[in-house]
Amino acid sequence: MDLGLIVYALNLASIYALMAIGISILWSSVGIINMAHGATFAVSGYAAWLVTGALKPVIAAAFGKTAIASAVMAGALVGSALIAGALCGVIIYLLAFLPIHDKPNFQVRALIVTLGLNIASVQGLLWTFGPRNQGLPKIFGFGRWEVFGTRIRYDQAGTIIGAIVVMGLTLAWLRYSRRGLEVRAMMQNAEGAAYSGISRQVTALPVLMLTGALAGMAAALLSQTIFVSPTAGVIPLVKGLTIALLGGLGSVPGAVIGAILVGFLEAIVGVIPFLGQRYVLFATFLFIIAVLIVRPRGIGGLLDDTRE
Amino acid sequence: MSGKRFYKVGRRPWELRLAPSGINERQRSRLPGTRGHWLKWRDVHNPKTLRRERVLADKMPLWWTLGLSFVAIVTPFLSNSLLSVVSIFCVYAAINVLWTLIVGTAGIFSLATLAVVGASGYVAAAANVYLGVPWPFMLLIGPMVGFVFGAVLAAPSTRLDGLYYALLTMGVAEICRVFVLQLRPLTATGGAITQVDSFIPEDWFLQRPGLLLGFAGAFLLLLGALLVWRLVNSERLGMLLRVARTGREDEAFAEAIGIDFRRARLMVFVISSAALGVVGAFYAMYFRSISPQIFSLDQMLMLFAMMVIGGLGRAEGAVVGAAIVTLIDKGLIELGPPRIILVAFIMIGVTIFAREGLTGARAQFRDFRNRKAGERRARRTEKGGEAMPEEATEVHDKQELYYRRFNKRLRERLKKLITPELIEEHRRDPLGHHSDELARVLNYFRRGEMADKYVIHRMVPAEEKFRVMAVSGQRGMPPRVIDDREYHDIKEAYHAVFLLRVNDLLES
Repeated sequence: MDLGLIVYALNLASIYALMAIGISILWSSVGIINMAHGATFAVSGYAAWLVTGALKPVIAAAFGKTAIASAVMAGALVGSALIAGALCGVIIYLLAFLPIHDKPNFQVRALIVTLGLNIASVQGLLWTFGPRNQGLPKIFGFGRWEVFGTRIRYDQAGTIIGAIVVMGLTLAWLRYSRRGLEVRAMMQNAEGAAYSGISRQVTALPVLMLTGALAGMAAALLSQTIFVSPTAGVIPLVKGLTIALLGGLGSVPGAVIGAILVGFLEAIVGVIPFLGQRYVLFATFLFIIAVLIVRPRGIGGLLDDTRE
Repeated sequence: MSGKRFYKVGRRPWELRLAPSGINERQRSRLPGTRGHWLKWRDVHNPKTLRRERVLADKMPLWWTLGLSFVAIVTPFLSNSLLSVVSIFCVYAAINVLWTLIVGTAGIFSLATLAVVGASGYVAAAANVYLGVPWPFMLLIGPMVGFVFGAVLAAPSTRLDGLYYALLTMGVAEICRVFVLQLRPLTATGGAITQVDSFIPEDWFLQRPGLLLGFAGAFLLLLGALLVWRLVNSERLGMLLRVARTGREDEAFAEAIGIDFRRARLMVFVISSAALGVVGAFYAMYFRSISPQIFSLDQMLMLFAMMVIGGLGRAEGAVVGAAIVTLIDKGLIELGPPRIILVAFIMIGVTIFAREGLTGARAQFRDFRNRKAGERRARRTEKGGEAMPEEATEVHDKQELYYRRFNKRLRERLKKLITPELIEEHRRDPLGHHSDELARVLNYFRRGEMADKYVIHRMVPAEEKFRVMAVSGQRGMPPRVIDDREYHDIKEAYHAVFLLRVNDLLES
């Protein structure tokens, strides 16, 4: 196995991990399976496209063609994607959490509402912008590094590093901040957290904004490799969901391990001559089904009885 | 009693109530071959008229008959495009009813329903096109494939639960889609099998008679699916599963009393998969082709939206939801993408506001109304009503409750009459001719319960010394002295009693 394959696998793994961690944290703390995660992804991609499109002449006029210009452009792209993702999180909070969080069947109903949001926003994007792919500015520039005789594209390296930085920040926030402590308490035992005075309504909003922003970040990073389109969110959603389940819902390390496993699996299946790209999804699902049959709660998941 | 006219009261004055003869024996026809009856008539006793009345306890069969016969009668007069919309509705409704059996009755959250339909449709179509099997046999091949596929799918459902199983079945659908897409012989048609033989003759296809025949077939398919639902859900299997329906505790309970609910679930799953196989074969015949589109996530989500809008886990919900969504999705096709957004918004709205979809809205409204009525009752009591609702159910003589309420209102009115002038008037002349207000207050005092009253005790030795005592209200218990104040004038003592009673009244 050569280094390029490893880099490609890590590239995939970092995007998947960003999606899967968001889904996993949201499920274990608030109890929503967020089917609108893909829609958040697509909406953030479009928001970044609109903002960078509007700012391009302004930035060009202000900074010309310097390094600062591309840095400002990168900031605008990532920032707009993050903000759009967080706003999507707020919308999900207002529609799928706030009205029904104390009603019967909350989990199934939240799943259905987010599913409806997903369908509505994907169709809305399709209606507004049409099915055409939109290219975003390349914030990492074009070019490659020569490392140990292999070529690493800038966007791949940037994606891996960006994802690791964002994940590190998220985990640090969860580990060291007061709000993160509350979220972790809710992940461990929602009822116990409620008894210790942690409000579900108050904590759910930052969690939803955070996971939305993670999806936005994934969109910003993936937009360096592929184009933005209305249905761009479907594959990351399915991948994120499957990886979150593979890792065990609620387990962040499990999600990371699952993402790395699936990333490598896809990279390897993609280059095996008689299989090729069209079997990638096929192989992933077979792998996940096999793992789930052996470990019904995923890699890092605990049984519900143990959690209780 | 003959000339007396009764006015109907209550919430259902319109409800049909038969007046069966009290002399003759009751005649009820049974479903052939079973001990069941056609309709759930129940005899009730009307406490007002003291007559026997017969009410229909379960009205769902009537609604089903009305709805289905409306569809069957009206559809043949519709235009060609609407005719095909109704036929597609029937097919989707059949799939949804069988899916309801899996999700509702068996409680297995499977998303591979369309995968079962598609796989059996593909195999049946392939048998017809490549092996030359005549079309009636497709309706046998379909359920066989569905049976096998269902058995394979059902195996992991005992080990995995909930979302993990849902994901697995989603994966199976995806695997089916990819598998079909990469089949070499189908590459030319994009994975679709075309030119499938059908129960609709070739030259009738997409013509008026063909569409009518297609509708007839689809309608029969829906009736068949409903029959399967009825046989599984309301007979022994469904009964067993209802014990183990909701929680972990119920499952443990079911297991403890000897119900093998896992086996029952698997059986329901396999039976409905076999039935879905029939739908798959029909699907391939109705469209004369079958494409990988049937395995797609979008199609699955659309069917899921139907079930959710109608009400997850109910056959009527599956059919109503299918009617609404199919009408929007296929009937308003010229709207473009907004129609899907409309469906999504209906889905969100129904989920936020209705606990169990549109068909559960009635029960939910009834609960809501009962809750509000209870709240109002509680608020009335909170304001100082005499009988608490809990207490009121205990009091046998309901007259008592109304007397207490009347008393409370009376006291409130009398409290307004108590003024310094009134007290002054009584002090001046406790026994004289009084004003109207004072007379009313005194009348109320006189009529009160014995336990509320006071007596004046002329102290021994007999002289003009009085004190006020409170009556115990219990036989054999003497009155008790309430204070050590002594009065030298009987009129002062009368006024002291009056003041005590006024004080009690104002405090009550």
